[in-house]
Amino acid sequence: MDLQEFLATEPTHDRDDLVDLRALDFVSSYDSHLMCPICHCPFVEPVRLQCDHVFCHKCLQSAITTFRSADSDEFPCPSCRTPTTRVSTSVPRLLVNMCDEIQVRCPLQAEGCAELLPRCHVQSHVDKYCGYRLVPCPDDSCEKKIRKRDLQSDERCLHGYFLCSRCEEDVMEKDFEEHDKELCSSLETTCVDCGTTLPQRELKKHVDACPDVVSPCAASKYGCQVKIRRADSGTHEQTCPLISLGPYFEAQNTRLNSLELTMRHLQQRNEIFEDGMSNIRNTLLESARAGRSNRRRSVTEPDRTQSQNEDDPTETPNVFSSNATTYLLSLHESLREEVSQMSHALTDLDARASMTIMNECLRIKEDMAHTNAAVNSVRMQVQWLMNPRLHNGARTGVIRTNTASTAEARSQLTSTSAPGPSSAAGPSLGPLRPRRPSDTGREGTKL
Amino acid sequence: MGSQKRIAKELAELVESPPAGISVELVDESNLYEWKVHMEGPEGSPYQGGDFILKLSLPTEYPFKPPTVSFATKIYHPNVTNDEKGSMCLGMLRADEWKPSSKINAVLQFARQLLAEPMPDDAIEGRIAEQYRNDRVRYDEVAREWTRKHAIPK
Repeated sequence: MDLQEFLATEPTHDRDDLVDLRALDFVSSYDSHLMCPICHCPFVEPVRLQCDHVFCHKCLQSAITTFRSADSDEFPCPSCRTPTTRVSTSVPRLLVNMCDEIQVRCPLQAEGCAELLPRCHVQSHVDKYCGYRLVPCPDDSCEKKIRKRDLQSDERCLHGYFLCSRCEEDVMEKDFEEHDKELCSSLETTCVDCGTTLPQRELKKHVDACPDVVSPCAASKYGCQVKIRRADSGTHEQTCPLISLGPYFEAQNTRLNSLELTMRHLQQRNEIFEDGMSNIRNTLLESARAGRSNRRRSVTEPDRTQSQNEDDPTETPNVFSSNATTYLLSLHESLREEVSQMSHALTDLDARASMTIMNECLRIKEDMAHTNAAVNSVRMQVQWLMNPRLHNGARTGVIRTNTASTAEARSQLTSTSAPGPSSAAGPSLGPLRPRRPSDTGREGTKL
Repeated sequence: MGSQKRIAKELAELVESPPAGISVELVDESNLYEWKVHMEGPEGSPYQGGDFILKLSLPTEYPFKPPTVSFATKIYHPNVTNDEKGSMCLGMLRADEWKPSSKINAVLQFARQLLAEPMPDDAIEGRIAEQYRNDRVRYDEVAREWTRKHAIPK
C-alpha cells in the first residue's frame, strides 16, 4: 500500500489500551536482528519497505510523519535512506514467530505474578488469566480496586474495615484472610521441636535457627541412620565415621560418573566402528566378485587365467568360506561363458578362412583364363604368319615340287603343334587367303 | 513516550558496557535528554591523557532527529568550534544525514575516532585545518598544550 493508506491504518496490537509490548521485561535473550532500529525492541507488528528493511508498524508511522516532506509521495528509509513510496504489511511469518516466541515476565510482576510466558500470550494472560490484575470493585459505590483473584463470587465489596478481635488492628476485608493466617501479631504457635511459643509470623525464621530441630545426619545419604538435634550435630559430626568418609565418597561418585560417561562414549564409538567395519566388508565382497568376473572375461591371455587360478584358492577361504557353493556356481557359470566365447571365435575363424580360400581360387581361375587367352592369341598370330607361307608354297608347288613337299611337311608340323582349325583348314586347301585379324579373336573365344 | 524508552535502553547499554575510553552519565537524574560524556583522549594523538567532557543533548523527537554533541572542555581541533560552545561537526549528526537506526554508542565512538584522526576537509575551524595539513608539528604542539591546560585535571 502507499504511504497515505499506510498512515491511515491503525496498529492492532500496539495501542495504548493494550499491554505495552515494548515495556516488558524480556527474560530470554533475543537476536539483535529482531530489534526494530527505531525503538530498539523486538518488532511489534513488523512491516516491510521496498528496500527490505523491517520496522514496527507504529515506529514506521511516526518515522513517516517526521521525515516525509509535505505532500510528497516518498520518504527515505530510516535505515538506508532509499526513497520509498510503498509499505508492505506482509513480512515473513518466521520473523513474526521469532518475535512472538521471546519469553517475557508478566507485566504485573510488581503485583506478585511470577508468570513467564511467550510475548504473544501476554495480552490474553493479562486479560483473562492473571489473578493479580486490579479490577474495579464490584460494588458501584466503592471507588477502590481489587485484585482479580480476591473477587468473591457474590460480588461483595471487600474494602470495608474489620477489627481483628485478637490484635485489635483494623484490617481490610480483602486482606483479612492473609492477616488471620499469617500476619496477626496475636497469633502464636509453638515450635514442635523446642516447645517455645512465638508469634506465627516469626516461625519461619525460628525454624531455620532452632537448636532443637531434629535433622538427619549430614552423611545420611551414605547410610548414617542417626537423627540428631541441631545443637548436638557438632559432636556427632566429630564421631560419625561416615561424615569423615564423605569427601572420599564424593570423589568416588564423581569418578564413577565420569567413568560411566566415558563408557557410554566408548560404546557409541564402538558401535560406529562396527557399522563401518560391516560396510567395508560388504563393499569388499562386492568388489571381489566384480573383479573376479572381470578377470575371467579376459581369457585370451592364458597367464592371466593362470594367476587367477593361483589367486582364487587363497582368496576363497577368506571371503567365500561361508558360501563356497555360490562361488563354485559362479565359477562354473563364467567357464561356460568362456567356452561359448571360444566357440564363437572358432566359427568366426572358420568363416574367415573359407572366405580367403574362395578369394584365392577365384583369382587363380581368372589368371588361368588370362593365360589361356594369351596362348590362343599367340597361336592365332603364328597361324597368321604361317598362312602366307603356305599360300606361297601352293602357288610355287607346280614349279618347285621339292619346296612344296617341304612346305607340306612344315604345315604338318604346325598342324601338330596347333590342332583345331588349322587341321580343319589344312585339308580344305582351296584358294588360301590371309585371314583377317578379327577372326583370330573369334577363334580365341571359341576356344 | 516512545523516545524515552529507547533512550533509557541505550543509556543502560552504555553504562553497562561502555566503549573504550568513553563513559556516560546523566547531567540530571530526572532528565533523560541531557547526557554528560567523559572521553579520554585517544592514544597516539596530541589529546592523549586528557579527559574531555562532552555534552550530548537529545531532542524529544529522538530517534527521528539527531542528537547534538558539543565539547564542554576546550579543545584545539579542526572539527570543533574554538569558542564557548565547542560545537562539533559530525557528518552523521547533520539533519539530512541522520538515520533513526544510528545509535548513540556509534555517535560517541565516531566522535572519539575524530579526535584520533581529524578531518581537515570537513573542518569547521579553517585555520586549524590548514595548520593540521601544512605544519603538523606545530599543530601537535598547540593541541598538546591546550590539552594540558584545559583537559588534564590538576
